[in-house]
Amino acid sequence: MALLDRGQTEPTDTLKSASAEIQTRITDQCALFSQPQDDFRVETLVAQGARVRQGAPVLRSRRQPELTLVAPVAGEVAAIEFGPGRRLVHILFFHLPDAGRHAHDVAAARGGDDAPATRALLLSAGMWTRLRSRPFGRVPAPAEQPSAIFVMALDTRLDAPPPTLALAGREEDFLRGLRALARLTAGPLVVCHDGSAIPAQIAGLGENVRFHRIAPVHPKGLAGLQIAALHPAEAGRPVWDVHAEDVADFGALLATGLVPETRLVSVSGLALRENRLMRCQPGADLRALCFDIVKPGPHRLLTGLHDGVEARWLGPWARQVVAVKGATAPPRRHWFSAALRSAGRPLPIIPTAALDEAFGGLLPSTALMRALAANDAETAARFGALSLIEEDLALADYLTAARPRFAIMLRAMLDRVAAEERA
Amino acid sequence: MTRGIWDRETVALLLLAAALPLAATWLLSTGMTGALRLVFVLVAAGLWHVAFMLARAQPPSFAGALTALAIALLAPVDLGPIPMLLGISFGVVAGELAFGGWGRNVVNPATLAIAFLGFGFPAAPWPVLPIQLGWSVIAVVAIGTFAGVIAWRVVAGAGAAIAVGWYSLGLGMPVATAAAVVLVLLVCDPVTSASTNLGRWLYGLLYGALVLLFALGWKGAVPVQVAVSAALLASLAAPLLDEIAIRLWLARRKRLG
Repeated sequence: MALLDRGQTEPTDTLKSASAEIQTRITDQCALFSQPQDDFRVETLVAQGARVRQGAPVLRSRRQPELTLVAPVAGEVAAIEFGPGRRLVHILFFHLPDAGRHAHDVAAARGGDDAPATRALLLSAGMWTRLRSRPFGRVPAPAEQPSAIFVMALDTRLDAPPPTLALAGREEDFLRGLRALARLTAGPLVVCHDGSAIPAQIAGLGENVRFHRIAPVHPKGLAGLQIAALHPAEAGRPVWDVHAEDVADFGALLATGLVPETRLVSVSGLALRENRLMRCQPGADLRALCFDIVKPGPHRLLTGLHDGVEARWLGPWARQVVAVKGATAPPRRHWFSAALRSAGRPLPIIPTAALDEAFGGLLPSTALMRALAANDAETAARFGALSLIEEDLALADYLTAARPRFAIMLRAMLDRVAAEERA
Repeated sequence: MTRGIWDRETVALLLLAAALPLAATWLLSTGMTGALRLVFVLVAAGLWHVAFMLARAQPPSFAGALTALAIALLAPVDLGPIPMLLGISFGVVAGELAFGGWGRNVVNPATLAIAFLGFGFPAAPWPVLPIQLGWSVIAVVAIGTFAGVIAWRVVAGAGAAIAVGWYSLGLGMPVATAAAVVLVLLVCDPVTSASTNLGRWLYGLLYGALVLLFALGWKGAVPVQVAVSAALLASLAAPLLDEIAIRLWLARRKRLG
């Protein structure tokens, strides 16, 4: 697939040079938010206007009272907005640097040796939402027992922040986090890496920890494709994936009781004058991360290049901010061409090398795409669709310009399978 | 949020671009006769595309031009306009447009049209392909593989089978030329060829093996007839080969649990 630029998986030069000095920017505003489809009903633990310390519990899930969300910065609760049924829309914070940090009680977890206490600590310290459970790509239920955990110590997406940089100087925390995570599963804990981000001293992590080296070629660094290839997720056989930086955050929490303040994110895109790496708090205001390097003219902010959605705040799994030129009105189409465009949905997909490359040769791409387009959940599940979520199909969507997007068809199928599972 | 360019029409245009060396070589060797024939097939197939666009809101595809090139190049000669129209209509409508257009078809419309004409009008002579067409296929394969629209595994499988025939079974140059031209025009169509990696190898090998079988065992068959028949049978078997490949893949996955 020579027309596909293979060089794209390497960080661009500007990102490399930016890594020399990564600035930390705590934005003045930040927020925890949820989408209506998440159906996240909460009760508040703080009042509007209250001063909160960084890491202090602010929200508790109504359905799963163990699950708590914590304040991403030290500051003041500026606004809390609910949808119908006390579903969270967002809780907004103003940053006040002198409000302090909240220390969680980590004695019970004994540095991660006590699995139930570790689980309870991750839930109560707001770190549980960093985990992602497949099938369905949701935050795992508090009592869920994963059949495997995948730690992604590489990120092959274009311009994504290299986990190597995020882990630099945090090897101790990373190993402590790995040890603790390995006790949360009876199955394997697979650390996917490209050979660069792994600490030298990895002995004594536990028998179920495995290291899996991957060529750093997009899309092979996507968790979904690796899970589908190595340990397929199914209903009743959930597989978690978590970013290596979050594992290091778990380790830091277990050691100190403090929730780490920042996360490494990349800010890039065609609407910016330069690309940069920076550390900012979870839930940071995306506009504040790039206001000083944005080119004149309208732009939109996405949380990811191919898999990005338009957003205002940095979500729990997002590490990439992409500014694209944009927001011009869609061109007015003549009714005739509109009819031609919409008559034959979903558009046929021609199996080319581009489609094969979009799955890294790990899955039978054409058969999987045809099953998705035909809405055949059983066949798609046999080909590994239950291990995938939207981000894993983003490259296929991008390359084939599929309409409707495969990601949307996959989400609809996953929602249907999930509803059938519940019934 | 950003969109790529690899939709159906891009693939069709790249296939057309890849076929240009072949088309140019053929037009140089046949001159005005070939050009007129190509225009006739293009108009006839294009009319059906327009008809289906108006009646069924089915967008026409540039792949229709590739079909027309294949029909003009490989269909029996000296047929007269009415039989040609019949054959083109049958191939384009029953082979492609009735299924919803290029990308949803089961067999290649050009294969169907040529086979229909060849077997329906057995008195009409098959075309004799000039030798240089076979060499232009190398350029077609190079461009198509570089752009990712021609599966190299199919070409390699077919090439291996035909090479065996060439060196050990005394396959002649005319058959090899016809097999090569049919390979890039009909067999390598990404829609109707096998779509798994193992399936592509098997598909190419099957096509090459059928060419060998027909060339050596079919008394009285001419090279283009041999190659087109092999392409038709191989494309009918393509879903089976894919199924075999997928079954094997699933069996290997069983141990993952």
